[in-house]
Amino acid sequence: MERFSGHTTISTRARLLAVAVAAAGMTATLPASAADAVNQERLLNVEKEPGNWLHHHQNYSAHRFSTLKEINRDNVKNLKVAWTLHLGGIEGGGIWSHGGLEGTPIAENGFLYVTDGWGSVYKIDAHGGRGVLVWKMDPKTDRDWAGAVACCGVDNRGVALWGDLVISHTLDGRLLAINKETGQVAWQRTVADPDKGETITGAPLIVKNMAITGVAGAEYGIRGWLAATDLTTQKEVWRTYTIPGKGEPGSETWKDSNNAAASGGGSTWVTGTYDPATDTIIWGIGNPGPDWDSAYRPGDNLYTDSSLALDATTGKIKWYYQHTPNDPYDYDSVAENVLVDVPGPSGPQKLALEADRNGFAYAIDRTTGKFVWGLPFVKKVTWTKGLDPETGKPIEYDPNKAVQTYIASVTPSRTNMETDICPGNMGGKNWPPTAYNPDLKLWYIPVIESCNRIKVEVMTPDKLKPREFWTGGGPSQPFRITGSVTAIDVTTGKIAQKMETPFPNLGGMLATPDLVFTGQPSGEVMALDAKSLQKLWEFNTGGGVNAPPMTFTVDGKQYVAILVGLGGAWDKWFIDSTPELKKIQPGSMLYVFAL
Amino acid sequence: MMNFNSFPAAPGMLLVSVVALNFSIGTTAYGQSAQAPASDPTNAGKAVFSKANCVGCHKWHGNGGGGYGGDALSLRKTELTRDQIIEIVGCGRPGTGMPFFMRGAYDEVKCHGMNRQDAGAQMPPEGGTFLRPKDIEAVADYVIAHIKGAGEPTYAECVTFFSSTSRVCDVYKTQAQKPDDAPASTGKGQ
Ligand code: HEC
Repeated sequence: MERFSGHTTISTRARLLAVAVAAAGMTATLPASAADAVNQERLLNVEKEPGNWLHHHQNYSAHRFSTLKEINRDNVKNLKVAWTLHLGGIEGGGIWSHGGLEGTPIAENGFLYVTDGWGSVYKIDAHGGRGVLVWKMDPKTDRDWAGAVACCGVDNRGVALWGDLVISHTLDGRLLAINKETGQVAWQRTVADPDKGETITGAPLIVKNMAITGVAGAEYGIRGWLAATDLTTQKEVWRTYTIPGKGEPGSETWKDSNNAAASGGGSTWVTGTYDPATDTIIWGIGNPGPDWDSAYRPGDNLYTDSSLALDATTGKIKWYYQHTPNDPYDYDSVAENVLVDVPGPSGPQKLALEADRNGFAYAIDRTTGKFVWGLPFVKKVTWTKGLDPETGKPIEYDPNKAVQTYIASVTPSRTNMETDICPGNMGGKNWPPTAYNPDLKLWYIPVIESCNRIKVEVMTPDKLKPREFWTGGGPSQPFRITGSVTAIDVTTGKIAQKMETPFPNLGGMLATPDLVFTGQPSGEVMALDAKSLQKLWEFNTGGGVNAPPMTFTVDGKQYVAILVGLGGAWDKWFIDSTPELKKIQPGSMLYVFAL
Repeated sequence: MMNFNSFPAAPGMLLVSVVALNFSIGTTAYGQSAQAPASDPTNAGKAVFSKANCVGCHKWHGNGGGGYGGDALSLRKTELTRDQIIEIVGCGRPGTGMPFFMRGAYDEVKCHGMNRQDAGAQMPPEGGTFLRPKDIEAVADYVIAHIKGAGEPTYAECVTFFSSTSRVCDVYKTQAQKPDDAPASTGKGQ
């Protein structure tokens, strides 16, 4: 009986049809109704269907803001668990003892699409106040192959929708197109190669019939890229390397004789954003490799640690803004660039906001790539005295130096082989996404308030081996690490509010008109007042929150959903800084709340 | 650098096979889950190497390597004896990330003459699973027979370790075919 719930769709007509088909005893699946087919028009206008959550980052600008306000400041204290669903995917593989959940559910017409760490996709029918699994697609990820070169966990951050397809990635490098109704794989294509240390953890970004794929692996000597796959022809449209080839512009920022650029990192593992007005994709680029032996790769190491703007149609680079040239800290800039328009002194400013691992939040003019403002959003920064107010570069940055030392007594280098840095190498903010409230013009950053210790290993070309770590040292955790939610007023570029938390924020943010939702790796999901960040509601899931909340409606009723299951980098590499979290058990569960 | 030259694998292996026979009966429980041919007396230890997640830090090949976890030392280049390996697996190594795997270590059983209080901040982390003394011996024997003194990991070693359909070993196949990598892969026999 229940199994037909998977075929019900938005319209009553479709539902009746489903019943009719079921009654006729047909086992064939229904075609997706026209209302269900996702096209560019719908992706551009998600505000017209506020009950759905169609983009990984909610809209093309990565606002993660929902206008739904049935759940609000006045009644959020009554929020309760509506239903839960256990998922799978906690198995180990490679160097990982278990998987975790970092995904953002996608919601469309009362159905949710979620992933587990190994890339299984679950379609869940959320009608009627409960969750029923419609189908599960297990991509049979090659766990040992991919898990051995996944630096930071068995992770998959979610899917995207296009036409009647669900588009997803696997850790072992594949792009899959899945029939939305049946859960059958329609086609798949290999995009990344774990033999080179490449894996995929991010959700695809869909732009004009293309799926944009980012790659992870800067800790394994990859040369990063972004790739666009045509969802009709299944062919690659373009692939743009984040590290220029010999002779290309930017290649002069790799000044070594080791050919360091060929294994120079520059991963792209967090889903980027898209500005339709200029047909521009803006994507955060990861750290250079080897992470901590910066003398191995003298030069600014473009386009690592940069926000990169590409022509969506051709993949051509339009502009870049680099945050930490010749990065010796693993302060990558892989974070999402949030696109906002705010009134400026001379007309509206079109900004791209990025909360960088280096502890600074940046606003860049997204038309020109020029710096507008920047400020530290963490409590403690020790590696630089601050940003140059004109250029936004760290004050100590010297373009004539091949190897940057910033504040040399703090900076890991071949003459400072063991040193403490703040923020620690997980950064002030890692992948967990920010949210932006366009009414209040407040930008909410999920913060890791941290320091840690870095040991440098001097690298030589013979140490570069396929599928082996290429980090030039490693971190340890002698200091306790905490967290905060930090709100920035985008009109002033100043911190408006900070709500400190006992643990780092490893999940990310959701904003609604007068609330923000977030979680803690110790298990709590919470709702805060959008202005004061005062806590208004909290529920302990009993697991570790390592994924962002989102919200949607079914039959007019608002729900908040979040995946719970601590995995990822923290659990393995950084846990000593948060000893209480050692008690958190691996888990894999979807929580859905309602009034 | 290549200190494994002074530790030829063959004599070690001989020694171990004899020792391993002594407790092969007690370890058949692990033999069930291990996929490798039943004839290798260190299969039990290989199963422990996976189950206790030695692979999580030292990798399947034991070479360890830097990375986010700091440096898990190379067990291929280790100079430790069987007894020393048994001790470090049981007690961990104070002040480093090498965990202890013996139940009651630093509590009922002192390690390096220390209990928890004595060890203080030097207290090594606790392994993800506790091992019985026989498991610890078995994993030490496995390390001595198959890892210590070995050169660069090879395709043959990899498929023996995984015996699965995973592509995890393919990279060693391609490497072996590349002539310029030959010196590395023949390191063991030098
Ligand atoms: C959490 C990571 C981790 C796990 C799990 C782990 N090790 Fe280690 N191991 C280390 C680190 C780090 C060192 C290096 C300690 C040092 O710096 O002296 C080490 C060192 C060693 C050494 C000493 C090598 C030498 O030459 O000094 C041996 C032997 C060893 N480990 C065996 C094992 C075995 C067997 C297992 C599984 C039962 C295991 N380890 C599990 C991290 C780990």
